[in-house]
Amino acid sequence: MKVGGGKRIAAPDQDMKPFMNLLVVLVPMLLLSAEFAKIAIIDLKLPENRGSQTNTAVTAQPDEDKSNKLLLTAIITDSVVTLGAKGGFLPSIFYKEYHKYVAKDDNTEFTVEYKPNDKVKHPKSGREMSVHERYDIFLYSTDENRNIIKTLYNKYSEMLTDLEGNPVAQVKAGDTVYALSNPRRVVVVRDPAEFELRPMSAYDEMKNRLMKVKERFREAQPEDFDDIIIAAENEVLYDKIVQIMDAARGAEYPNISIAKLRS
Amino acid sequence: MARGRKKVPEASLMLTSMMDMFTIILCFLLKSYSSEGTLLTNADNLVLPNSASKKKPQEVNLQVAVSPDMVLVDNKPVTPTEDVKRIPQEQSDPEVPKLKEALQKAYAQEEEMVRLGALNRVEGKVVIQVDKNMSFDVLYKVMNTCGKVGYNAMNFAVMGREE
Repeated sequence: MKVGGGKRIAAPDQDMKPFMNLLVVLVPMLLLSAEFAKIAIIDLKLPENRGSQTNTAVTAQPDEDKSNKLLLTAIITDSVVTLGAKGGFLPSIFYKEYHKYVAKDDNTEFTVEYKPNDKVKHPKSGREMSVHERYDIFLYSTDENRNIIKTLYNKYSEMLTDLEGNPVAQVKAGDTVYALSNPRRVVVVRDPAEFELRPMSAYDEMKNRLMKVKERFREAQPEDFDDIIIAAENEVLYDKIVQIMDAARGAEYPNISIAKLRS
Repeated sequence: MARGRKKVPEASLMLTSMMDMFTIILCFLLKSYSSEGTLLTNADNLVLPNSASKKKPQEVNLQVAVSPDMVLVDNKPVTPTEDVKRIPQEQSDPEVPKLKEALQKAYAQEEEMVRLGALNRVEGKVVIQVDKNMSFDVLYKVMNTCGKVGYNAMNFAVMGREE
């Protein structure tokens, strides 16, 4: 290159300032607005032959001998999450409901157990919290005596299970466990302190069971291998239904339909 | 300014590389801005549930929003949510009359567009935005009404979880 010679060639000065100003203003503005749009969608793949999507017939008799359809159904009521199929039901997952609130005024976060007809108060000011400040609903699995079951989670908030897919509550160094991602990831325990004992989320257990079901029917390949029906009671909040849908999609059941439980 | 007159070349900022960077960032941001910004508009005081879904909203034809006090079709209030709640739950095939009317109107419009050749076929796509504190009962009634009119491809709008 000739330019590299000893002489300095004065570059014609361009005034970049106005353009720089423009960029400095535009970039933050666009950055802000780009971060703002986080809306995603959940695709419902409703069976086409049903016309209207709402299959009310879960508790009504589904036609027997409809080839080898599985009719996998996740059922959610106000105290129980369970999984059913044509053959029967898995044991129910009882849950206690905890609500996480984030206060509008001072961003205090706190989690309380939900009791119907109980007003939630701000821990400091004693102000009544509105439902719009409820940020998350946690469903903690319980045993029959309503004691919360605790299980191990790793730092990515994935539940740990053993080879059969049962949640594990205790590990020692050298154990092999599986993290509940899809597909399950093998984790060899080096330091048991890496894992944290937390209340078992009913959603995670649901996902775990769904994955087990998926595994069991991989050979049989029923017609509706990817389908799941989510059946809910009238009073169940929409938020819970979306979380169950997440669990279902996480376990590779993308074709979700919705049904109503007759009360 | 005396300094500018000197023969010795002055130490100036190398703006070129920074300009390059900025231009690229600008292009990128502009692109992401226009493809996401306006597809879904949030109704007031409607809090969408959080979900792990990463799917971005595609081109949508119709929006149905169920906020705590109003049901809206394409951001136009149609009927109070209270009225939807009042529809008896025992009904096996519940529908919301005013919502049905509005949806039928939209559906007829879509059919008209197909007739004129602006669309290939009636897709029956609808994005449903529901407040996360709404009960399933309301959701069910709204969905049933959508399905009856012919909007069978339903999508739920959710908030992506920030990771």
